[in-house]
Amino acid sequence: MLRYTARRLLLMSITVIGMVTVVFFLLRAIPGDPASYMLGDYATEESVAALKAELGLDRPVWEQYLGFVKRALTGDLGTSVVTGQPAFDEVLESIPWSAALSVSGIIIAVLAGVPLGVMSAVRHGTFADLFVMLGALIGISFPVFWVGLVCILLLAHEVRLFPALGASSSQDFFTQVHHLMLPALVLGFSVAAYIARLTRSAMLEVLGQDFVRVARAMGVPERRIVYRLALRNALIPVLAVIGVTFAWSLGSAILVEAVFSRPGLGSMILKAVFARDYQLVQAGVFVLASAVVLVNTSLDIVYGWVDPRVSVS
Amino acid sequence: MSDGAVLAVRDLRTVFPSESGPVTTVDKVSFSLGAGETLAVVGESGSGKTMTFLSVLRLVPPPGRVIGGEVLFEGADIATLSASAMRSIRGAGIAMVFQDPLTALNPVFTIGDQMLEVIRAHTGMGPRQARVRALEVLERVHIPAPAQRIDDYPHQLSGGMRQRVLIAMAIALRPKVLIADEPTTALDVTVQAQILELLAELRSELGMGMVLITHDLGLVAKYADRVAVMYAGRVVETSPMARGFGQSRHPYTRSLFRSIPRLDLPADQPLTAIAGQPPDLARLPAGCAFEPRCFLGNGREDCRNERPALSPTTSDRHLSACPHWRTLLDAEPGA
Ligand SMILES: Nc1ncnc2c1ncn2[C@@H]1O[C@H](COP(=O)(O)OP(=O)(O)OP(=O)(O)O)[C@@H](O)[C@H]1O
Ligand SMILES: [Mg+2]
Repeated sequence: MLRYTARRLLLMSITVIGMVTVVFFLLRAIPGDPASYMLGDYATEESVAALKAELGLDRPVWEQYLGFVKRALTGDLGTSVVTGQPAFDEVLESIPWSAALSVSGIIIAVLAGVPLGVMSAVRHGTFADLFVMLGALIGISFPVFWVGLVCILLLAHEVRLFPALGASSSQDFFTQVHHLMLPALVLGFSVAAYIARLTRSAMLEVLGQDFVRVARAMGVPERRIVYRLALRNALIPVLAVIGVTFAWSLGSAILVEAVFSRPGLGSMILKAVFARDYQLVQAGVFVLASAVVLVNTSLDIVYGWVDPRVSVS
Repeated sequence: MSDGAVLAVRDLRTVFPSESGPVTTVDKVSFSLGAGETLAVVGESGSGKTMTFLSVLRLVPPPGRVIGGEVLFEGADIATLSASAMRSIRGAGIAMVFQDPLTALNPVFTIGDQMLEVIRAHTGMGPRQARVRALEVLERVHIPAPAQRIDDYPHQLSGGMRQRVLIAMAIALRPKVLIADEPTTALDVTVQAQILELLAELRSELGMGMVLITHDLGLVAKYADRVAVMYAGRVVETSPMARGFGQSRHPYTRSLFRSIPRLDLPADQPLTAIAGQPPDLARLPAGCAFEPRCFLGNGREDCRNERPALSPTTSDRHLSACPHWRTLLDAEPGA
């Protein structure tokens, strides 16, 4: 178990380093640079060149990369050229916003998606099943920003159940939660659709297996069969994709944050890319990649615990 | 049929809807089973052996449906019981062991957990008490060191051990009837013999009625008291085993018997596979379902036009669905 965990951790670090490296070079491959962005359209060539030299952007890319790695190893991810703040601090500030959105989105998705999927499977072919699957189809095929806009229009503008803005400057916990609800529901809906479909098909498959027939032949009550004996089997594939879902929800969160004008890692990275704020993008991607890899690794460990056949050797 | 039968089935019918109309997979099946008796059920693949007993337990997979017949368990008709009353008979009154022990256990629960689920479904036992019971029955099916095995997952056990676990589960509540559906086909030969010996031992110790579904006529001769032969969803012959297959009074049984290797015949005597294909249940002929493959029928008018019923031959313990059974006896002197 210890060796397994150590190997997972090593693999994890390699993934994160790879991600950050790719982003480092991609950023420098796209046209534009922070100096021209900061100085605006009317800057002289000399002043841009001077700022570039100051920022170290005039040196060869590989040299910049080595410098970046050297500093990163000491825990220094550089300074945002736009705000002058340490990039890592900027990222840390936006993490709670993103974490709150993604985590509540996924919790909503699991709490809604798994039971709906199970119900659909148990009553497959009925009207209820059709209804749930239709809803899931909408959740999967309609883009999250469109769903977000419709929700704002209906639930924030017409009915006024929720505020249209996904964030508030208030320190009050309940106000924040109230603002979070609609974006989390929108994000949760699309993930729930995915999880419901997956749970349904996994459950249908499990309910057709021999051991379910055996349990029935032995007089085990149907509710024990479905909610205990079969469900644990059906959750294995679901668990396996929650990690993927998490990565995907962070991606969708960018769109949700944009629609609801909500701060967060996604909208921060987006802004930083437009400003060619290399340091901030790199720090953001570093944190994002670490989060995704960390979640997936912990899920792998939980997976091994739920499915005894997964050997840790 | 014999009074005092622990399980008696009369005219059981199960149909599956299909595009070309309803397919009768269990067609007016009747048999009875006495306490402590072993009834072997034989027949080709697809003849409805498994479906018959799933129908008895009312576990026919949808869209299949039992559409008629009586199932008397200890004298009371259980075909009309409520779903929950039926559930309490499954496992506790009539238990079933299936063909493939590799897929019959839930891979993500320990065997103890699965046994407890069954025991507690039928008794008011708490987890501790149920565990004691589980250990008792594991011991009873000769699983070595049950206290260590009980917390194993199925994949940690061999096929034979898993079948023992399933048998333990099946006898945990002292059922009156144990249905063993090809309990050894998925196991290797040495293990097969051990499992069958175990079943025979349990049957006599617990006084259960046992149904042994099998393809292996050798096993039938060794373990069964009576045999029911199925063809195309019907019972075509039932006879006391003491008579042996040489005395069978249905041409299908004769063909079936001739198609297995035997030690009591000269080695150079050829094995004869049954001619033709097993029938398509959706397109059964109007007459006898075996007629197209029968060495007796040969286009006889009555065989082609009338569906023969299972009726007594020389004794009312030996029934055959062939009206020409006498011809078979004449062909073999000394019958
Ligand atoms: N789910 C189902 N839907 C439709 N037809 C089915 C279904 N299950 C079984 N059947 C049909 O019912 C008939 C009887 O099947 P059954 O499993 O009882 O045969 P069997 O005698 O047990 O065969 P085997 O020796 O292969 O186990 C077969 O013709 C089969 O095609
Ligand atoms: Mg079968």
